[in-house]
Amino acid sequence: MAMRVVIAEDAAILREGLAALLTDRGHEVCAAVADAEALRGAVASHRPDVAIVDIRMPPTHTDEGLRAAIELRREHPGTGVLVFSQYIEAGYATRLLATGSAGVGYLLKERVAKVAEFTDALTRVAAGGTALDPEVVTQLARASRRADDLAALTPREREVLSLMAEGRSNAAIATTLVIGAGAVEKHVAGIFAKLGMPPSEDDNRRVLAVLAYLNQ
Amino acid sequence: MASTTPMTGTPSPSSPPRRRRPGGGDAVATVAAVARAAVETPFTRRAWGEFAYCLAGFPLGVAGFAGTVVLLALGAGLSLTMAGMVLGVPLLIGVLALVRGLGALHRRLAAALLGERVAAPPRPRPGRGLTGRLGARLRDRASWRAVAYLLVKLPVGILGLYSVALWGGGLVNMTYVLWWAGFRHHPPGTHLRPVPVLTLLPMGSFQVATFAGTFAAFAVGAATVLLAPWLVRAVAAADLRLVRGLLGPGALAERVRALEETRALAVDDAAATLRRLERDLHDGTQARLIALAMNLGLASEKLGDGDAGAGQPPEVARARELVASAHQTATEAIAELRDLARGIHPPVLDTGLADALATLAARSAVPVRLSVEIPRRPTAAIETIAYFCAAELLANVTRHSGARHASVDAAGHDGVLRLRVSDDGRGGARLDTGTGAGSGSGSGLRGLAQRVRTVDGSLMISSPPGGPTVVSVELPLHA
Repeated sequence: MAMRVVIAEDAAILREGLAALLTDRGHEVCAAVADAEALRGAVASHRPDVAIVDIRMPPTHTDEGLRAAIELRREHPGTGVLVFSQYIEAGYATRLLATGSAGVGYLLKERVAKVAEFTDALTRVAAGGTALDPEVVTQLARASRRADDLAALTPREREVLSLMAEGRSNAAIATTLVIGAGAVEKHVAGIFAKLGMPPSEDDNRRVLAVLAYLNQ
Repeated sequence: MASTTPMTGTPSPSSPPRRRRPGGGDAVATVAAVARAAVETPFTRRAWGEFAYCLAGFPLGVAGFAGTVVLLALGAGLSLTMAGMVLGVPLLIGVLALVRGLGALHRRLAAALLGERVAAPPRPRPGRGLTGRLGARLRDRASWRAVAYLLVKLPVGILGLYSVALWGGGLVNMTYVLWWAGFRHHPPGTHLRPVPVLTLLPMGSFQVATFAGTFAAFAVGAATVLLAPWLVRAVAAADLRLVRGLLGPGALAERVRALEETRALAVDDAAATLRRLERDLHDGTQARLIALAMNLGLASEKLGDGDAGAGQPPEVARARELVASAHQTATEAIAELRDLARGIHPPVLDTGLADALATLAARSAVPVRLSVEIPRRPTAAIETIAYFCAAELLANVTRHSGARHASVDAAGHDGVLRLRVSDDGRGGARLDTGTGAGSGSGSGLRGLAQRVRTVDGSLMISSPPGGPTVVSVELPLHA
């Protein structure tokens, strides 16, 4: 599926590299801008499938990208937002996920080095799914007050829980862990039972449930 | 800025043409400049100010001296007996307050007439309890220095009045010529006593008996009028030195204030430097490394994965290995650089301590309960110190305490930021042992305490054997 993408990243070398990479993969880069203000304009005029947003951008180099991302999610629900940063901050993840988990992503910038996985995550976000960095999931799980409950999971179940929270489908989880689809379903059911969560077939609602659980 | 005024405002005989160059033109110019300065000086605005200062300072000085001596003697005398102390001590305290008030009046006079603003001394330290408060007032150094000023002011004031009178006398002498013609044309032979000339000098006074003599009186008067302003200036300058030394904050207090100021600047500067360093790393090196890793990832894909390339020549397989290894190394370098940069200055601190502490809590291996209530943001340096305290303390919890839970509370009220990190571990943490095994000097709790002290903060540890451990850090909201 060819996507229409807007990139907001202040480091020129990364902005151009990303644009080249996505174009090479057959996607259309509508605009590549260097600050949050230009991002708002570009998204409003191009209505892309997904926007890649760096958190630290001019003028203050703090969290203007994150604030712009949250705004975009409110004003353009049809556009997925992949927040892209050199740091994972649990506080940022919480703020971002407070707007829901459909069509949202938060990845470390270096994940782009694994090109296939990165474009996969971007596609997921563009399609209204979720893509969270494993680091985000780890931090949310650590900050969770249910740490004791999580400790009751088997190591395999914890792996599956992380992948679910990252936004992967059962099929993707099966491929990643090199196990059968049936085994994944069994683990998922086990997790939901141990944590006392209502089971859900829908990927999005499942991510939401897992994140809500972790965020408690 | 007002402190540069004292003796350099108008050209004085010694100031401008000090450089000697060959040639007589300069010497003439020098003499001319000196002469002009000598004639102009009595009529400058500054000379009038000094004149007024000496004039006004005299009655004030006499009253201050008399009042201080009498009241202090009375208070001290009363305080010699137990019963008298009931009256004497309050009297002494009252006198000291009055003296401070007089000191303020003298400072204001110097500011208004001499153009030199001297800062007020620090207020007496508040004591605890009635005796503490009274003692603090009685021991207040600034008050006693003001007493010293009032005592020294009397001779200085007399000297000042004398200089002013000298000037006035000179003026009077210059008038002899005028009234001699008006009042002294008596018939010849009338014996008139000679008129004394007011020189106000101990020796050298003389009398004038003839009209011609009045010209001598005029010359002496003119010379006095030209010279007296310099005496007035010298007295005013001496007085100003006393005001600065005895009515100002004092050299030590001034030094402390200067040190506090420069220390705050140094602390802020260090924080700003680290922040800039982190941003440079982020915008430059980190971005380049990520671009590098991205290109290596792309190259890796172009070379195909191992299964697809089974039929490829061995050089391609080798190249694929090399690229994959470079890719791996670049990714590791990015992660290392990120940890390094976070250690220099965590970027999330830029959005506030609350976000930064949330991330810290989330990264801790021991579950952390976090509560943050900081209505007004502290300065950047304070936020940084608080953050690194919390980071180090949480790291200690993980490394040494064996705790199952920890909590971090941060609250900023009444100008103080209070940070408390507690855990339910085995306790026994001590300041002098640092963090225990393998901690060098300057690291661990001792290092934290030192860092906190750079902004006048404090660090307290309560960690009985068996726990729980509570470390409280207090920092000023603004360094």
